[in-house]
Amino acid sequence: MTEPVRAAPDDSTLVRVRGLTTVLNGKTIFDKLELDIPRGKVTAIMGPSGTGKTTLLKHITGQMRPDAGQILVGGKNVPELSREELYKLREGIGYLFQNSALLTDFSVFENVAFPLRQHTKLPEVLLRNVVLLKLQAVGLRGAAELMPNELSGGMARRVALARAIVFDPMLILYDEPFVGLDPVALNQVLKLIRTLNETLGITSVLVAHEIEAVKQVADHVFLIANGKVVAQGDPKTIANDGSAWTRQFFGGGADGPVPFQYPAGDYGQALGFSGAAK
Amino acid sequence: MSVRPVQSSNVLTGSLAQIGNCGLFLLTLLAAIPRSFRYVRETLRQLWFVGAMSLTIIMVCGLFVGMVLMLQLYHVLSIFGGTSASGMVVALSVYRELGPVVTALLFAGRAGTSITAEIGLMRATDQIDAMEMMAVDPIAYVATPRFLAGLIAMPLLCCVFCAMSVLGGHLVGVTWLGIDNGTFWSNMTAVVDLHTDIVNGVLLKSLAFGAVVSLIAVYQGFTTPPTSEGVAYATTRTVVASSIAILALDFVLTAFLM
Repeated sequence: MTEPVRAAPDDSTLVRVRGLTTVLNGKTIFDKLELDIPRGKVTAIMGPSGTGKTTLLKHITGQMRPDAGQILVGGKNVPELSREELYKLREGIGYLFQNSALLTDFSVFENVAFPLRQHTKLPEVLLRNVVLLKLQAVGLRGAAELMPNELSGGMARRVALARAIVFDPMLILYDEPFVGLDPVALNQVLKLIRTLNETLGITSVLVAHEIEAVKQVADHVFLIANGKVVAQGDPKTIANDGSAWTRQFFGGGADGPVPFQYPAGDYGQALGFSGAAK
Repeated sequence: MSVRPVQSSNVLTGSLAQIGNCGLFLLTLLAAIPRSFRYVRETLRQLWFVGAMSLTIIMVCGLFVGMVLMLQLYHVLSIFGGTSASGMVVALSVYRELGPVVTALLFAGRAGTSITAEIGLMRATDQIDAMEMMAVDPIAYVATPRFLAGLIAMPLLCCVFCAMSVLGGHLVGVTWLGIDNGTFWSNMTAVVDLHTDIVNGVLLKSLAFGAVVSLIAVYQGFTTPPTSEGVAYATTRTVVASSIAILALDFVLTAFLM
């Protein structure tokens, strides 16, 4: 197994984004975005839908290349990495997909064992123990022989989490981890994120819209809108920073800096009343 | 290599871009073959799926093609008193044309569509992206084993198809219509040439068709939009594009190999 990329231990910032610019289909997603994700903390990325939160995660993991800017993960500039270097970096990153992305042909056990089988030559007994250890951590050791189609949404997400932590990564990225979960499953996932962060010291970045859940789990919040960070700080106090962005986003206002209407042409003209909207 | 669907408003340029993109994808597949050697088990699993699981349809269709061919030939050749040549003509038709072409068309319908649908659904459910994130190359793990399995399975399936066709011809010609058994086999063995008919006809053509069908199926799966409608269109495109490619390639190969 190749050694995953690790950052220098004295560096308190694990992910450093500088001048990130991304244009997709003519729309500017990021406009010289700058942010630092602290090591060993739980950081939440929030913002209105379509502001590029998932795109930011894809930039961090090298799934997408930006038009300009640097994304430094553990001191390595991700867009400049070769395929081999990128794969080596990813061995140190766990990624929890919104829909879990379990391999549907494999059982729960084999899903968690998959990265180990691909990158290590562990004896079967040791591999089995590692997998059961991870499944026990997410409370699903008893579900090891189930197939993904036999799992509920919350269970599938916990299996995906067990798979994401199977290599004890330095960084875990959670893409909308709370979507579609009932209160019990949501609390289980919240507890797991916090426990993993506290016990293993894993740096966690989560993209989420659930304000109350983020307040419970995150140490730091970035609010992204219009391609930039418009607010950042402690999740419990950021809502009171006085800006129109935080007031609308955390207050749930229907209209404000984030417009209710998607940009469109003249309404009167669209209805066939020329000059009606003057 | 990043595999992305080609979009063009013009049908001609869109088709040319698709062919070009498919060619680049082939190069990516070929380059990934050394990396896919570590996934031998996955290649064998796919070989079982696209090869062994296609045996029933190939055997049944081969039998009926041979039977109907013999029936038609017998009635035509009886006008000229040449029914003894029926077995020979059945064999030559099957080895040179019908065997590879019909096997490839059946293979595209049975295995090609399932490969496209499977990969398309893996894309739609982020399984391909998940592999990327686990530092597992999806081209080497998903695409290349399916491509190699198709490449290996097609000549074997074609051999089975041809054998069943000859058997079907024998059943109708000898057992039912009364052609002499010795004449049937001796005429056939006298004219069938190992190099021209078996190597060039059965093996070379089916190898080429296997490569084309597998490439199209895998390419369509990887480039399909990750939606249910996208997967449906991709499976349809696999059958349409494979059928056209098989028949066009058959003409080119026949022209060069004759």
